[in-house]
Amino acid sequence: MKMEEGSVSSLDNSKLEGMAQDILSELVEDACLGLCFEVHRAVKQGYFFLDDTDQESMRDFEIVDQPGLDVFGQVYNQWKNKECVCPNCSRSIAASRFAPHLEKCLGMGRNSSRIANRRIVTGNNTNNKSESDQEDNDDVNDNDWSYGAEKKAKKRKSDKVNILLTLCCCYCYFFYFNE
Amino acid sequence: MNKESRLKATINQRLTELGERERLKELLRAKLTECGWKDQMKAHCKEVIREKGLEHVTVEDLVVEITPKGRALVPDSVKKELLQRIRAFLAQHAA
Repeated sequence: MKMEEGSVSSLDNSKLEGMAQDILSELVEDACLGLCFEVHRAVKQGYFFLDDTDQESMRDFEIVDQPGLDVFGQVYNQWKNKECVCPNCSRSIAASRFAPHLEKCLGMGRNSSRIANRRIVTGNNTNNKSESDQEDNDDVNDNDWSYGAEKKAKKRKSDKVNILLTLCCCYCYFFYFNE
Repeated sequence: MNKESRLKATINQRLTELGERERLKELLRAKLTECGWKDQMKAHCKEVIREKGLEHVTVEDLVVEITPKGRALVPDSVKKELLQRIRAFLAQHAA
């Protein structure tokens, strides 16, 4: 529905602007009324003051702004320096290296089978002792591993993953509740 | 004047027909909540209610007390954004 040419020429920008302002006023008025109705209903239904709390209990939940703590006041880097004892080799491992260590120690995880295969291959050609040199590139990041000849019986992958996850969770909870 | 009021009526009709009025209402409501206007107004409502008494406050009371303040407290940025959209709509449908 196009307007006639006449109305276009007789309307300048100020009139359009005035119209826009009017429309805005109506919208704002509508928003205010909407709020009034909402509040009135809340008052009459009895839930308007439900979210009020006293100053005392509000202070309990204030945001904490101290170094070394998160906003809830909990220590968040407490496991940086913790050490865990591996249930398999009974060595003391740093917490952040614990999961990768377990992977290799228990013979689970993606690289463990590769290492094992390599050992089988190179073990057939040479002696066991010289294997440790050839596998350095596998464990460049793993600075707590030395190649003792630790072979585990083959387990099915799903069992392995479950055990690995359960162990890590147990150790995490152990340290969490110890604090 | 007659042409103008006719145009105004047509514009209003188109606003409603095309759903633009509803969209603008929703946009305004969202913006007002975002910028804290709604919380401000609710706090003012609490004062009014405590004054008039929880049992006796009427819609009229609230409207009379809230609307003028509400109109005044709308932030300029919100007004600007709404006006932009309205102007765009007018440019498209009034010319």
